[in-house]
Amino acid sequence: MHGEGDDLVIEWADGHRSAYSYQYLRDRCPCATCLDKEPEPPSETGPLPMFGAGKLKPIKAEIVGRYALQIFWSDGHSAGIYTFDYLRDLCPCDDCEAAREKVM
Amino acid sequence: MSKRISPQDVLEALKGVEDAAQRKDIVSLGYVKNVEVSSDRTVIVIELKAAGSPKANSQLAAAIRKAAEAIGAPKVEVEIATPSAAPPGSQSKLIPGVKATIAVASGKGGVGKSTVAANLAVALHRQGAKVGLMDTDVYGPSVPALMGGKQEPRVIEGKLEPPVEWGIKIISMGYFLPRDEAVIWRGPMLHKTVQQFLGEVNWGELDYLVMDLPPGTGDIQLSLSQTIPLTGAVIVSTPQDLALDVAWKAIAMFRKLNIPILGIVENMSYYVCPHCGVREEIFGHGGAKEAADRLGIPFLGEIPLDPKIRVQSDAGRPVALDLNSPLADAYLAVAKALAEQVSHAGEHIPQII
Repeated sequence: MHGEGDDLVIEWADGHRSAYSYQYLRDRCPCATCLDKEPEPPSETGPLPMFGAGKLKPIKAEIVGRYALQIFWSDGHSAGIYTFDYLRDLCPCDDCEAAREKVM
Repeated sequence: MSKRISPQDVLEALKGVEDAAQRKDIVSLGYVKNVEVSSDRTVIVIELKAAGSPKANSQLAAAIRKAAEAIGAPKVEVEIATPSAAPPGSQSKLIPGVKATIAVASGKGGVGKSTVAANLAVALHRQGAKVGLMDTDVYGPSVPALMGGKQEPRVIEGKLEPPVEWGIKIISMGYFLPRDEAVIWRGPMLHKTVQQFLGEVNWGELDYLVMDLPPGTGDIQLSLSQTIPLTGAVIVSTPQDLALDVAWKAIAMFRKLNIPILGIVENMSYYVCPHCGVREEIFGHGGAKEAADRLGIPFLGEIPLDPKIRVQSDAGRPVALDLNSPLADAYLAVAKALAEQVSHAGEHIPQII
């Protein structure tokens, strides 16, 4: 698991490789606060863009036990615990995307 | 003496000695490390691949001595070296010297979890491993009493130095509370305690850190599972359906948290009447083995219900310390099966690179 440009990359034990953009993961934060919140419009379109949050990136990430990842975002948020099962379900690669559509 | 016995002769004779578990002779198994023969002494050094029970080892030694004496080797001495059952690498920054962390858990209370945890720690230690025992049951800490608990932790250079009882480093909430006080805490306090028990105790180098969990699937279990990558969990259950149904909940929790189940131990498996010798299966028998088979989980063994366990536990001398005792042998067998499971449970721990 490592950062690569604007992506978080996970190499799974079964050989699969997932690359998530930071914004994609931040938008899917599984914490209770974020799940309850209405999705916000991007802040960069505000009247004073110089006070915008800047480019979102993780400051650090920690493994939780052996089942999840906790990401400390540059916007100060860190409550989300991304379980590996959840991350695998979120994999944005074409194959996984296609598999999800099939189910739906 | 007509003919001087050579080490080669002894080796030839040892080909007739079989390892009971492997059903192969000890020479082709590569157990014989060294044979020395002088005019008045024969020294045979055996190195086993896995730690055997003391009883099996002494039987093996006797068989070897018999075979060597049969060809006339003088004054035969047999040394059996067992590898310390050392698990693979360390996993946590918090406890860098600890190779394996084992949570002893159950669904419901009263199945003898603490007694099993204490005796397993002793049994692992008897097989040559360095062992710590962490009592995470802050509500009902019973490990100090089970292990004798005469000493107290001391603070040395800002870290807690755990007391050592029967060769095992121990930490428990019981050391910090007067007898008549109770812990009435909410989650965050419990979480902090678990972290302190791990990070602020001088565990040093350990092969195994055995953790006695409180019953159920609550705060402590979650804190522990989040704070360190546990090597695995041992589930203790009594054989009746009611207990096994609840044990299933503990198993489901560990599976959710991606923690390997190292196996199930059936406690209070049966009772042998001390007067007539009849075996009573008070809670039924074999339920845990059946459940383990059904769920695809290793079955580690069964521990009988015996008043001796209660008496010695109350006196602070775990039965697993006893020599020539079927109870201690039961615990040693479980510890051996556990060590084997641990040796291949360390795989697939996620890493940030």
